[in-house]
Amino acid sequence: MLLGIDVGGTHTDAVLIDEQKGIISKFKVKTDKSNLLDTVINSLKEVTSGFDVKKITNVNLSTTLSTNAIVENRLEKTALFLSSGPGINPSNFCIGKNTYIINGSIDHRGNEVASLDTDYISKALRECRAEGIKVFAAATKFSTRNKSHETEIAEAIGDAADYVTMGHELSSQLSFPRRAATAYYNSAVWRIYNSFIDAIIGGLKNIGIDAPVNILKADGGTMPLAVSRKIPVESILSGPAASIMGIIALSSIKDDSVILDIGGTTTDIAIFAAGSPLLDKEGTSLDGIPTLVRSLQNRSIGIGGDSVIKIINGEIIVGPEREGPCLADGGDVPALVDALNYRGIIKYMDTARSSEGIRTLAEKSKLSPDDISEKAVKFSIHKIRDEINRILEEINQKPVYTIHEMVHGHKIVPKKMYLIGGPAHALSSVMSDEIEILVPENYDVANAIGAALARTTFETELFADTGKGTMLMPNIGIEEKVARKYSLEEAEADAKKYAREYLEKAGYRITDSDISIIESSSFRMINDYYASGNDIRVKCQVKPGVVMHLHK
Amino acid sequence: MMKAANRLGLVFFPAYDWAISPTHPEREERLLYTQDQLREEGIFDITGIRELKPDIATETDIMRSHFCFPDVSSVTTESHLISAGGALRAARAVMDGEVDRAFALVRPPGHHSMKCVHGNRGFCNINNEAIMIEYIREHYRTKRIAIVDTDCHHGDGTQDIFWHDPDVLFISLHQDGRTLYPGSGHLREMGGPNARGRTINIPLPPYTSEEGFIYTIDEMVLPILEDFKPDIIINSAGQDNHYTDPITNMNFTAHGYALLNEKLKPQIAVLEGGYSIQGALPYINLGIVLAMAGLDYSHIKEPDYDTNYSPQEEEITDYIKQLKTPVLDNYFHPKPDMERAPEGEFTLRHKNIYYDTDGIQENQREYIMTCKNCRGVLYIESSSSVNPPCVGIDIPVNGCPRCTKEGYKLFDKAVKQGNFSTVQMTDRVNKKYERHSR
Repeated sequence: MLLGIDVGGTHTDAVLIDEQKGIISKFKVKTDKSNLLDTVINSLKEVTSGFDVKKITNVNLSTTLSTNAIVENRLEKTALFLSSGPGINPSNFCIGKNTYIINGSIDHRGNEVASLDTDYISKALRECRAEGIKVFAAATKFSTRNKSHETEIAEAIGDAADYVTMGHELSSQLSFPRRAATAYYNSAVWRIYNSFIDAIIGGLKNIGIDAPVNILKADGGTMPLAVSRKIPVESILSGPAASIMGIIALSSIKDDSVILDIGGTTTDIAIFAAGSPLLDKEGTSLDGIPTLVRSLQNRSIGIGGDSVIKIINGEIIVGPEREGPCLADGGDVPALVDALNYRGIIKYMDTARSSEGIRTLAEKSKLSPDDISEKAVKFSIHKIRDEINRILEEINQKPVYTIHEMVHGHKIVPKKMYLIGGPAHALSSVMSDEIEILVPENYDVANAIGAALARTTFETELFADTGKGTMLMPNIGIEEKVARKYSLEEAEADAKKYAREYLEKAGYRITDSDISIIESSSFRMINDYYASGNDIRVKCQVKPGVVMHLHK
Repeated sequence: MMKAANRLGLVFFPAYDWAISPTHPEREERLLYTQDQLREEGIFDITGIRELKPDIATETDIMRSHFCFPDVSSVTTESHLISAGGALRAARAVMDGEVDRAFALVRPPGHHSMKCVHGNRGFCNINNEAIMIEYIREHYRTKRIAIVDTDCHHGDGTQDIFWHDPDVLFISLHQDGRTLYPGSGHLREMGGPNARGRTINIPLPPYTSEEGFIYTIDEMVLPILEDFKPDIIINSAGQDNHYTDPITNMNFTAHGYALLNEKLKPQIAVLEGGYSIQGALPYINLGIVLAMAGLDYSHIKEPDYDTNYSPQEEEITDYIKQLKTPVLDNYFHPKPDMERAPEGEFTLRHKNIYYDTDGIQENQREYIMTCKNCRGVLYIESSSSVNPPCVGIDIPVNGCPRCTKEGYKLFDKAVKQGNFSTVQMTDRVNKKYERHSR
């Protein structure tokens, strides 16, 4: 049996899935934000009650703990050490009061241009000690090409820290500002995350579950619990990704498609290309801060079941705000759900209250209630459709860097639309469209299903400079010497080999075929008209997927 | 989060699968480190900076600027159409108000491509800026355009294309042609008989440094621009004036390029040359991007700046100061062309053009009508070591009825004569572009 639990901002969902019978138990409860742990433990108890917990072979947990800590600024005081060399003024990337900018420079080839100012590091550390800072983050420019400055900083900090995050361990990707922010937040949530995890483990033991635990990430995959303890920032924004993975498990998606998760406050939109979810190009943004956390592409707009209906200059507008629940659910102002109730498209809770509210609004505005409800529904659908078109335009206009891709690039044209979330059925009946609309079964717990069934994901990049005779894979700590004739084929094989070795050691369960090469290039480098070696880059991943499908 | 003062569009097209030849300076690797630097700086996360995908230029887009012999597809590849398309996308973004400024970091370059194209010269097949300018003039109401070419090599292609055009001011700063390819761009080259003073050449001595370039901008380029009052300023942003460039002899810096751009304030910049791909391009491009976005670029410095850059020698400073008067005279008091034909007749110019990359020799007879109502119809007979005699006719933007009629008369005559393998008509008045091949 597989257990999945998604602790969301509003609800917590848990499912128990039997490999043969499918979903055998599901549980939904409002999230108690002040006590996430109780919510998790209770959900675990409820969803497994009556089943033999010893038969659970895997537990996957998606939690908003780190996300909330960052968004609500419940962060541990963290010192950020930056070193940037030439470029944008690094003071733009300070976070919090304890950011220290250290002189030193590494260039885009990974060559050290200027060594670190160790005197200043010592001085900064004295200050940190005086302020009682125990967690640190180090991010230096081009550390993914040469990690030495980050490791030097970490060594200098030494025992003064309970934890130091080094930027190059989080991602192989370029982007100094994202590296700085991601490293900072990783350290800032490190303690709260780890104590939460300790408590969860204790809770699981009490219930009698001793299956391995994995943590959901924003890219729709999981990481082993032990790994997550070092990179807790990777657990942010996993909820929307869990929903998307749930739809994959519940439906057989093969074409270019649109996924809509219509909730109370927002609608989340995701696009699939040939059946696969698209990843964000650089990484997700949290509260407007770009990070290196790999994420499924997902866009939220302010249209949901509880989005308020307003009349402005005779125009009927829905959202983007929510002012509590809809009238039918005991709220004070008419919302989209009330319009759907009035039109008889759905029969949700107190339909009489909905109708009364729409009529009152009609009297006040001298419009007919039919008109208001019809236009409110239409407005919402238009709004969603406009956003879908905007996203598609952005995806299809995504820059490419080779003539081949420019000429032969694939254009995404969705053939199907999958709807999940509370008002999904209601809206599917009115979204008459040129494309096929599907509402999968059990969509109300798609997030927990996605959590339960998500497979592991991973990404790493290999850089080789055959002129210098070096090869490195920054985020898994590989540094090797290579021969002058080291080829792209060898690099691809090495990337897979080292990634597999790392993953097995870290407790991921994968097979050889799970690791795929996604980018691979070799540039001949010339100095003064003579070949000076090759610049080889290979990116590989274990892509998002589910361990089993639930559709017939 | 950083926010750009000017909304900036970046068309980044490094053409990672295209090179002139494996060890040629114009090869796949050229913008690789620039992209690394821009990504590492987080440029695309700055609010107000957007990355744009290039358009693909059409045959019509190219025929508006060039006579391609025997035809467009014979002298271009997809790479050229995308590079030119990158410039078009930059223009579109600015003209449609999507952004305030745009920078097309595209390759292959284009500023050595002339009006007639028989092949590749100076790493260029078609002229990205010229194609962009004619696109702008055809689709928007823009009339007066200034191009400032800051590539180290004389922008002889752009000069040739706009030689007869009084509405396009072409200013080129470059290493003196007596010391560098293509050998042209002397003070006396100052525009055709109907456009005197609308081509301005500023040949700078080898080893001109930051000081000399900034002096040239402040004392020569800006006063001319202020008088010309262009609707739009375009920068041909070649980066080979850098002190580390392997094929030139200048002494300019990344910081200097950024400062130059800040002073010039071009709405659109298009990358041209620049072959110090590790030591200079990443820093120059970053500098230009930040300057165009209106952001602080004071922290940009090449890794070897302290050891390898030296300030300008006095002798060079003096030499550049002496250029000021003749340069300004060329614009403000241009000497008339003594060979200019009387009203309604043609002025003839003979030209021999060498295509260094492809080893082609071209001979031209170029006729421009003296007309009091428009720029005058242009007629060129061209033959080369790869093409038999061909003809190109250009009826200009806002061409008068007489010149339009004359253009079609010349076209019919050339077609009927039958001894030209290709006859191209570029009719900007009626937006008709046709080619007759024998």
